Amino acid sequence: MELSALLDQLFPEGHRVAVDDALVSGEATLGGQTVAVLGTTNHSFIGIREAVALSGKFLDLVEKRPGIPVIMLVDNNGQRMALDEELLVLPEYIAHLLRAQQLARASGSRLVAVVYGNSIAGGFIAFGMLADRVVSVPGAETSVMKLEAIARVTKMPLEKLQDLAKQVSVFAPGCDHFFRMGGLHEIWTDNFSARLQATLASDDTHDTRAALGLERGGRKAARAVIDDVLGA
Amino acid sequence: MKQTPRISFYEASARQRVAGLLDPGSFREILPPTEKRTSPHLGLFDAPVSFDDGVVIGEGTLEGKPVAIFAQEGKFRGGSLGEVHAAKITGLILRAAARKPQAVLGLLDSGGVRLEEANAGEIGSTEIMRAIFEARRVGVPVIGLLGGSCGCFGGASIIAGCCDALVASEEARLSVSGPEVIETVMGVEAFDSRDRALVWRTTGGKNRFLFGKVATLVDDHIPAFRTAASALVRPSTPLRLDSLRTERDALVRRIATFGTCTDAKQIWEKMGLPADRVSDMTAAELTAAKPA
Repeated sequence: MELSALLDQLFPEGHRVAVDDALVSGEATLGGQTVAVLGTTNHSFIGIREAVALSGKFLDLVEKRPGIPVIMLVDNNGQRMALDEELLVLPEYIAHLLRAQQLARASGSRLVAVVYGNSIAGGFIAFGMLADRVVSVPGAETSVMKLEAIARVTKMPLEKLQDLAKQVSVFAPGCDHFFRMGGLHEIWTDNFSARLQATLASDDTHDTRAALGLERGGRKAARAVIDDVLGA
Repeated sequence: MKQTPRISFYEASARQRVAGLLDPGSFREILPPTEKRTSPHLGLFDAPVSFDDGVVIGEGTLEGKPVAIFAQEGKFRGGSLGEVHAAKITGLILRAAARKPQAVLGLLDSGGVRLEEANAGEIGSTEIMRAIFEARRVGVPVIGLLGGSCGCFGGASIIAGCCDALVASEEARLSVSGPEVIETVMGVEAFDSRDRALVWRTTGGKNRFLFGKVATLVDDHIPAFRTAASALVRPSTPLRLDSLRTERDALVRRIATFGTCTDAKQIWEKMGLPADRVSDMTAAELTAAKPA
């Protein structure tokens, strides 16, 4: 959905959010409290410059507003694909951004990612998937790789993949699939503001996704494997 | 002087690497192949499975120090991250966070997420990253070793980025998008993936070492990896605002200094290195030549 509509529905008490190129940042009021808003828009790619721009915002929050909840608005078309980005070690930039998120979490900030546009592959890892809670709103699209590309690499006919995607959630793009795998904690269709407040009211920051994947039947093996390794 | 015969990390299997890195006889595998933890998904694609799902995990000692270790098997589906594969690694790292060995060694040899299990692999990759942060939080360092035949791409590359330190050979390739992927999406003029020299100097261990992401550059020799990894074992330092500021400043400076470079040779020249000779240098020569 559109960024402005999303902001209005998430924060009916008011928001002060600026869009600078693809970077979204500011504050909003939610249940009488101030929360930080940080994200990207216009299906931006996440490259080295976006990574340090976003990490700088996280570090500023840790310094000036430790413990403030951070609402991460996710809309990206993946990692920026270019030789000169990889030349400067893109994985290091993305990992740095993840460390900045981890520092914010460790400093008491709840991180809630709201996917409202695209969220693809390395871009979604860099910004969204490591939040405490990840939710989607209408118009969101999660994907690792398009079915056409999976067909090319696995040499399976596209029609067979499309049929398989109706039976299992393990590989095909789409929020419903990602939800069944535990990759989205919730799918929101209404009452965004109330739902966000309810999400922030819980202070559980543990990674619960493997348990969710089991409960929802999309990822039946992961939780048991983790437990068996822990208990071996 | 007689040279010790080279024991190639690049060519070895995951199990051979583990055996060559750890003290002889010390390795105890967790969920070994006899447990038959195969992928529950590959059958849908009529694809073969492996009894360890392409990753070996367990515990042992490295020069006497207790360590946890995982090793991806590049020869099984490109070391790709599937549901079981990723969960084994997550479990191992969380186990280390609870039991506190002196380090976790991660032998990454992976094209990234397994496409047949794309969603499970992507989510599993980020569970590994959160587990690494948990281990580091309690002081257990995670040391990545790169130099396998599949390189380290996609989700695996970001896992490498989250490690405390990396040991790599020139043969290691580390990038988010693989050269073939960039070529397919952006065109051959953006990245000619068949130009092996270009691929290696862009994504290879030497470039990553000169930027500092790789702590120790080694030749393609398992005992060299062993010595380097052992020397890097020290408690993980806690995440702090000032150290992350310093890290960020360096990354911002890198963009300012090298952001217009389109070839690693331009970067090496700016660093004051003999750019045409870097590719021919041994690990020791390049380490000596590296600017402070």
